[in-house]
Amino acid sequence: MFRIIPLKRLVVGLFALFVPPGLSAQEVRSHSVLLLDQSDLRGPFYYQLSAGLRGVLDAHAEVRVTIYGENLDLTRFGGAAYEESLKRHFKEKYRDRPIGVIVAIGAGTLEHTLRWREELWPGVPVVFAMLDETHFAKLGRPADVTGVVMKKPLAGAIKAARAVVPGLDTVAFVGDDWARQVLFSHWDDEIPTATAGLNVIDMVGQKMADIRKRVAELPERSAIVYTAVFSDGEGTFYSPSTALGIIAKHANRPIVVGAEPLLAAGGIGGYALVASEIGADAAGLALRILDGERAGDVPPVTREAKPLFNWNQMQRWNVGESSLPEGSQIRLREPTLFEQYRWQSLAIFAALFFQAGLILFLLHERHLRRDAEAESRTRMSELAHLNRQVTAGELSSSFAHELNQPLGSILANAETAELILKSENPDMEEVREILADIKRDDRRAGEVIRRLRGYLTRTPFETKEIDLNLIMGEVFKFLSVQASARNVALYLQISPGELRIKGDPVQLQQVILNLVVNSMDAMAAIPYGRTVIGRTELNSGSLAAISISDSGPGIPSDKLSQVFEPYFTTKDQGMGIGLSIARTIILAHKGQIWAENQSGGGAAFHFTLPLAA
Amino acid sequence: MPTRIHVVDDDDSFRTAIERRLKLAGYEVATYPSAQQLLDRLPDENEPGCILLDVRIPGLSGPQLQGRLNELGFTLPIVFLTGHADTPTTVRTIKAGAEDFLTKPVEPEQLLGVIERALARHATARGERHKIEEMQALVAVLTPRERQVFGLVVRGKLNKQIAHELGATERTIKAHRHQVMEKMKVQSLAELVSIAERLGMLGERK
Repeated sequence: MFRIIPLKRLVVGLFALFVPPGLSAQEVRSHSVLLLDQSDLRGPFYYQLSAGLRGVLDAHAEVRVTIYGENLDLTRFGGAAYEESLKRHFKEKYRDRPIGVIVAIGAGTLEHTLRWREELWPGVPVVFAMLDETHFAKLGRPADVTGVVMKKPLAGAIKAARAVVPGLDTVAFVGDDWARQVLFSHWDDEIPTATAGLNVIDMVGQKMADIRKRVAELPERSAIVYTAVFSDGEGTFYSPSTALGIIAKHANRPIVVGAEPLLAAGGIGGYALVASEIGADAAGLALRILDGERAGDVPPVTREAKPLFNWNQMQRWNVGESSLPEGSQIRLREPTLFEQYRWQSLAIFAALFFQAGLILFLLHERHLRRDAEAESRTRMSELAHLNRQVTAGELSSSFAHELNQPLGSILANAETAELILKSENPDMEEVREILADIKRDDRRAGEVIRRLRGYLTRTPFETKEIDLNLIMGEVFKFLSVQASARNVALYLQISPGELRIKGDPVQLQQVILNLVVNSMDAMAAIPYGRTVIGRTELNSGSLAAISISDSGPGIPSDKLSQVFEPYFTTKDQGMGIGLSIARTIILAHKGQIWAENQSGGGAAFHFTLPLAA
Repeated sequence: MPTRIHVVDDDDSFRTAIERRLKLAGYEVATYPSAQQLLDRLPDENEPGCILLDVRIPGLSGPQLQGRLNELGFTLPIVFLTGHADTPTTVRTIKAGAEDFLTKPVEPEQLLGVIERALARHATARGERHKIEEMQALVAVLTPRERQVFGLVVRGKLNKQIAHELGATERTIKAHRHQVMEKMKVQSLAELVSIAERLGMLGERK
């Protein structure tokens, strides 16, 4: 090619000598393009090509370019008479329409154009498109001609076929007669070399009816190479993509194609021409010429077929992306939801991400909180245990009393029974009664010990449904010995019926016990009239309300809010944890606790707990 | 005369057990589930017996009952029997005159021993009181003059001194003195002095 250019320039230069002076191309070149198309515009390939071309021409900023278009329809018509009629028609039609550049699409069109130019459009430069490199080589570069040369060897199609069919051994050619092919006529000559080592099934030029049958029965490791079919061979014409659609419906093997629009029609892909690019290339060349360059000075551009593949067909024939030739593009990939709704998806993802983050954060928080709660509960349990051990000393008299009571009975009964049995005429009935009493007292003693153990063992926080009145009664019974020893009158006023709440019985006993002991301690200094009154009430139907009031000196009003603080104490030996534990336990039971001074003197401690649903 | 033990305890089981044991030991037993019930039907003091009293009883407590009985001048001995004995209570009750303070479970032998002792003491005390009452009754029949002579005689005054002190003749005093010995049913001056001492008359200054 390099060698050709100087020669071309020479030719162009010579040609210019013959041009009349007033027609100097540089000055008067009409801004009009005549687009001559070998086929018609019905097919997608030509439509895209001309669209690409128009796009570039229309975008030409300086001057509007007029575009004329003609379809030579050479795939369907031919012969000297037809050519003659076309020539006459164009001659008449464009008599008064100066043409700046002729864009000839297809080898046949270029051939006709060059043949007619002398007569119809003398001196008008020609830009060709879709001229295969083999044709271009034969053309020998006439004067004032440039264009888009295409590289689309059959070898590419075979390479694509091998890519989509592993172990390919057969290729089947489907298309109109090679002579009628616009794009692929040169493949005819390339078959022997390109298909070396492969079986070839030739369906070229066959009727559509036959093709349909034969493509359905192709051997296993074969691929179809489709060029273009323009008619069914029985008088019906269609565009090559329509024809491919029919064939693809019947084919039992993938179909390799050489033009982009055929992908959508059912081809699996191959080294394909992209029509809009070719159109744009041609338009670019035409514009350079319209802007004043000589066609002979504008070197032809080359377009290579690109490896393009149809994603749907790849799925159908189970072809993985990795087996495709390097640099392959995949078309018609079904957009994923994400691709389809990119922004919506992004927004949703962002929202989800944010929410997930938030949830994780909240879970983490919750986890931390639960850990903290569990720990504080453990601490409370430990402290409560300690507190119980401390109060256990004070309670020992109660336990001793309760335990010694049945033990005393047992001892007396046992000895009585012994004496009865020793007597001459033992009253067995009485002995039986005595034994029954002993058993009962023994159980009583066991129960006392079980209670003591339950009170002193460190038990984890456990929740069950309990009657608060029962608990209150037990604690007051517990404390009665202590109260009488300390000269305190203990009264209990229980609400009628049960006060069922959910909670830990031992811990609630401890709360009540701490409050009562606290009240008794508070009255240590008063000489007489020491009284502690416990009350249970049902409050507004949903709360159990407990109060422990005493006849002591009350709480200094500035200390009312502090009495539940840990280590707050007014006692010499107090640790200051009793009330604080009471509060912790009540809060853990979702209740409330507070202290107040009574109008008639003395302090009152109140707590409320939600009733069990 | 039957000996009756009064058991005051709120624990049914214990009351029954101790009643059985005491009956087996030959006592009459009366039981009271509360202190008030004993107050309501006070036992006969002249009948030998004792009170077995629990400390911790709902309502009136054991020590409180003891206080009431003391106020009433009730003399039956009280033995405390409790599940748990704390020092202040023990001291308080013993000071208030309790016979003994026992802790449950108590060995029946020990309990019976304490009861026996209490009964014996009570019997002695009762006998003593009985005698004093008798002597008081004798003193009561003396004329005022005779009482004056009695008081001076037991202080070791001679008839002459007494006559001088009372402004009477020695003979009259001698007659009074004889009368006193007669009425007080004694043979010697020593006996008379003993009576005066037991009735607490020696401290009197008349």
